[in-house]
Amino acid sequence: MRRIESQIDTNAPDFKANHAAMTERLKEFHARQHAARFERPQRDIDRLARQNKLGVRERLKLLLDPGTPFLEFSTLAACREYDGAVPGAAVVTGIGIVQGREVAIHANDASVKGGAWYPHTVKKIVRLLDVALENRLPVIHICDSAGGFLPLQHGVFPDRYLGGRVFRNQVKLSQANIPQIAVVGGHCTAGGAYVPTLSDYNIIIEGTGAIFLGGPPLVKAATGEEVGVQELGGAVMHTSVSGTGDYRAATEQHAFSLAREIVSQWTRPPKTIIETAAFEEPYYDPKELYGIIPKDRKTQFDMREVLARIVDGSRFHEYQPDYGTTMVCGFAHIWGYKVGILANNGVLFNDSSLKAAHFIQLCNQNRTPLVFFQNITGYMVGREYEERGIAKDGAKMLMAQGGSVVPKFTVIANASYGAGNYGMCGRAWDARTLFMWPQAEIGVMGADQAANTMADVKIRQLQREGKKLSDEEIAAIRDPVLEKFRHDVEAYTSTSELWDDGILDPADTRNALGMSISASLNAPIDDPHYGIFRL
Amino acid sequence: MRRIFQIDGDETECWLSHDGNRFVLNTPDGAMPCRLDPTGAPGGHVLRAGGRVQELRLAVGPEATFVHMNGRTHAIGRVDPAERLAGRDGAAAADRIVAPMPGVVVSVNAKPGDHVKEGQPLLVIESMKLETSLAAPRDGVVAEIPFAAGDSFGLKATLAQLAAEED
Repeated sequence: MRRIESQIDTNAPDFKANHAAMTERLKEFHARQHAARFERPQRDIDRLARQNKLGVRERLKLLLDPGTPFLEFSTLAACREYDGAVPGAAVVTGIGIVQGREVAIHANDASVKGGAWYPHTVKKIVRLLDVALENRLPVIHICDSAGGFLPLQHGVFPDRYLGGRVFRNQVKLSQANIPQIAVVGGHCTAGGAYVPTLSDYNIIIEGTGAIFLGGPPLVKAATGEEVGVQELGGAVMHTSVSGTGDYRAATEQHAFSLAREIVSQWTRPPKTIIETAAFEEPYYDPKELYGIIPKDRKTQFDMREVLARIVDGSRFHEYQPDYGTTMVCGFAHIWGYKVGILANNGVLFNDSSLKAAHFIQLCNQNRTPLVFFQNITGYMVGREYEERGIAKDGAKMLMAQGGSVVPKFTVIANASYGAGNYGMCGRAWDARTLFMWPQAEIGVMGADQAANTMADVKIRQLQREGKKLSDEEIAAIRDPVLEKFRHDVEAYTSTSELWDDGILDPADTRNALGMSISASLNAPIDDPHYGIFRL
Repeated sequence: MRRIFQIDGDETECWLSHDGNRFVLNTPDGAMPCRLDPTGAPGGHVLRAGGRVQELRLAVGPEATFVHMNGRTHAIGRVDPAERLAGRDGAAAADRIVAPMPGVVVSVNAKPGDHVKEGQPLLVIESMKLETSLAAPRDGVVAEIPFAAGDSFGLKATLAQLAAEED
């Protein structure tokens, strides 16, 4: 496979300006990520110490194999909600390695609001369990939650994908022979009691862990019975009397060593085999991506330059290099795994849509996972293109993409607007993982277009009422709308709302994809089959 | 298709096959049985081919293999056949830049009479929320840039024209 020959001049003024802009952005991103992970008010740190509990990051360290990567999801979830007071949505999720095996991890962060479930907490947990189901990954729950956050109970409890879905997904995992362990390192009250009880194995830490449907205050209010935490649902009672708990752990360290021992008892099903090659680092430095991604989001760039800094050996076999050139398709390896890549080099036209649909079918036939690199402002509009059937050709691409049986992975590298997001495997299209770069934007259209459309409607309405508007008055209508839209399309909004699995430093993309692909091979790949293509 | 190697600057085509008992090296000068055995020293091997016995050391890199023997190091480069056979001289570059889609001119960076280099940006267009820089397809002299900043153009409109090249 040939190496992509980069045309990038790392001494060019454009490269340097882009590099400086991205470096600045990443400084902010890493600072925010660090804060979400580690920075807590002193009183919360003191409370954990008083309760004799370890922090969630220390617990992960005890659980995971030392020196192995942990692919953390949505670190900045809820960063634009609840006045920023619920970092990470009070839960840590991700894929890690325990006893050499890939597992999905759901760990409450009791240093944030006692690990209470906010609406975004529930969304993050449900997403993690969906990842476990899709990829057939065993789940380890680390339970330490104050329970649902009552003032927002309507956003935590009633709907299809809210609280109940956590437990429903646990049932589906068990039904699919995917094992689960719960380590109870705090109180599991009410609904929370079902996380350990629906797990195949659970471990309760003596002194700090407890499971009950109603805690002591609720029992007293309901029946007048006075009972302490330990008698009501502590480790000793549950592991020796009720049988609700399986293992009693003397300490946190003991609990996680037991969890690791349990994982090593499980039969290890063989992973799905796809084409692989010897591992090779990219020939071009991934950090050069900082100078390649334009500082102005509107500026076009060649996705091959991006791929050259992500794939093994910077090698790429391009499919149909001279047809539908705004859609770059081809084969490469990531961490040695053969993948089919679709990357946008401009707007999707009829030919580029057909090329994508065809290439997706080739990859399904070949059992080759698909990786999408989005920089898409949309499918082309206008009479000429409608007459050529752009909507029909876009539908073919969606039918092929949505009907894919191979694992799919998406990186929103820059723009992700409108139907282009759909064609390129946006969130609704079941990418096994979907990541965003920090400068990327997502929306039904660009912020400027959306603001102009909304402002125009308003202005016409006022004009119909006979009002004549000065330029200043028009700006006064337009500018706040524009500002709101610019805010709403930002990557931080997306990641706050869990429309993605996290923001990535572009240089980390290769490893995030490698780990995602590796995890996806825990699930089998079906034979290809599709719906009807509108020919 | 035989593999293409570059040995000390010269290209040669070879293929290693196996006749059931031993390896056979097929070269443009004919086939010869051969075998390569490691000696235990780092990279050390003994090559037996065409009646000769040769001690040598090998180092394999991603693009080339280095063979050290008789006090000299030879670089054996592997040539990618698809690249080698693609043909070095493509069709002559076009004289015109044609609009890939309808849009608006954002800026014009050259004027008629300018000498331009291949790859030099001539104008920037915007369409579908995307700014694209259009570059000179070859070295030459600008004959015409028919649109100014702010002008709209249709699909396949000529956005820039270079003066015809004289032979």
